[in-house]
Amino acid sequence: MSMRIHRGWGRYFNFSTVGSFIIALFVIVPLYWMVASSFKTQSNVSASPAQLFPVPVSTSSYTAAFNDGFAHFILNSVIVAVCTTTLVLFLGTLAGYALGRMPMRGKYPIMVTLLMISVFPTIAVVPALYVVMRTIGWLNTYQALIFPYTAFNLPFAIWILRNYFLGISRSMEESARIDGAGALRTLVQVIVPQVTPGIFTAGVFTFTACWTEFLMALSFDFGKKTIPVGIASFGAQFTVPYGAYFAASVLSVIPVAALVLIFRKAVVSGLTAGAVKG
Amino acid sequence: MASTELAPGKVVAPPSRGAPPKILPDLIQRRYARLGWGFAAPALVVIGIVTIAPIVFAIFMSFEHVNVTSSGFSFTGATFSNYHLMVTSGLWQHALWWTVVYTIVTVVVELVIGTIFALVLENLTGGRGLMMALLLIPWSLITVISAELWSYIYNASFGVLDSIWPNALGTPLSATLALMVADVWKTTPFVTIIVLAGLVMIPRELFEASEVDGASSWDIFWRVTLPLLRPTIGLAVLFRALQAFGIFDLPYVLTSGGPGTSTQSLAILAYNTMFTDINFGPGAAVAVSAALLVVMMCLVFLRAFRQQVGKEEVPA
Repeated sequence: MSMRIHRGWGRYFNFSTVGSFIIALFVIVPLYWMVASSFKTQSNVSASPAQLFPVPVSTSSYTAAFNDGFAHFILNSVIVAVCTTTLVLFLGTLAGYALGRMPMRGKYPIMVTLLMISVFPTIAVVPALYVVMRTIGWLNTYQALIFPYTAFNLPFAIWILRNYFLGISRSMEESARIDGAGALRTLVQVIVPQVTPGIFTAGVFTFTACWTEFLMALSFDFGKKTIPVGIASFGAQFTVPYGAYFAASVLSVIPVAALVLIFRKAVVSGLTAGAVKG
Repeated sequence: MASTELAPGKVVAPPSRGAPPKILPDLIQRRYARLGWGFAAPALVVIGIVTIAPIVFAIFMSFEHVNVTSSGFSFTGATFSNYHLMVTSGLWQHALWWTVVYTIVTVVVELVIGTIFALVLENLTGGRGLMMALLLIPWSLITVISAELWSYIYNASFGVLDSIWPNALGTPLSATLALMVADVWKTTPFVTIIVLAGLVMIPRELFEASEVDGASSWDIFWRVTLPLLRPTIGLAVLFRALQAFGIFDLPYVLTSGGPGTSTQSLAILAYNTMFTDINFGPGAAVAVSAALLVVMMCLVFLRAFRQQVGKEEVPA
């Protein structure tokens, strides 16, 4: 009985459409606020009551962000993210292949350990890494972030890639071997092309993680700021330059949002296949 | 080289002829195992150097007097004083409880809202791709940016929410709730995607059969949908909770752990002890305590981890 009534109501109001509209608002409203505020004039950013629309439209916040060194932050982030992603994909493909396809004893405990490392709190490695990096003079260098980021993103990349390696058929790799191709050549020419979706997934996740990471960047690279550290350090002691924050935010959201939207299928499959990355 | 004799092509016997000679496959297996270790070694070494070794080293540091020198650090003698200081300090106890409560509350709220969102989206006939794209934006957003955004929204003099929720960051309870709202906004989309993926995998016939049997939507949800979702959701929640336990970015930027030290997580306490108080021994102790709690939780849920590894294992 009650179900019929619900269905009638559902037809009237179209439950899922209204619900989706509410979900969209939930996501969009704060984002709109960020974009709108980035186009307000310096004085209108802190107007009370708040301005709902940026009138007049101003790009002064964008100028302010670049005056605060935003171009350097982008460069630093790009260098760190690109180097890390390249390393992770290279090492992760080799390891994922080995752990997925090779008859190694002990790969099972290794996978369990990797899975646990992927939920490990970053703060646990900060004290020791800081001591080591300060001693060997690595603070404020790119490698101070590239190495830890590689290590922290490898478990998830190996995980994703291994699942793809497990899923492909053995016959092609066997016939390549029969034709006399070595193991490495078989991997590069026959196997890797079949796991490209997995490589995209691992790549997008690694890039996004590097782009957003804050704690290690704050601890090890305060001199070579990446975007999160740069944005957090905008402004002087008592002024909070929200306009510049949001201009920088809009600009730094665009590349990753574009990447994530282009590879949407890969990202969703990564989120659901592993479900291990938060 | 002798090993070329053992190239796999030469021993792949047609299955119809029965099992190939035992000794050759064994040697090949061993050769491939060695090759596998060679392939996996670089990645495993990097992971070991940057994750496992530092944790071991942090444990050592936490039992030492650590002094900062002009060029590096010096360790002057073993001690329990770091842990003594930590356990007796109200700051650590507060940070521990705050982190535990915050983790549990946000994960539960995100799970409930995420499940409702997923149920809504599952019934959506058109535009689901667009909604998925939308949900991915908060997920990919830099947490520092989301923290700045919410600090603007909550701002006590010109924040847009200030008329409804005055002085949101002013008291410990209110600041904690404000952090939770920001967290829920950013992470619920992620949970929605996971739950939706689980929902889509449930065979339609089960719902239809239950409807035919006269079950109400409510009954169907509690007795069919939820039990079938449990494995997917359970694992996602476990991972989400363990990761949330290391929370640093959001409270560090949005409330700076304040007012006072009331919203300090374990990670923020460790960071501030090391980099603000320049007190690396006790800082390492706090970091180790956070790591140990996560390891303990991992061991408690070891079965879940092992199942996750085992379930995709296809017999070769």
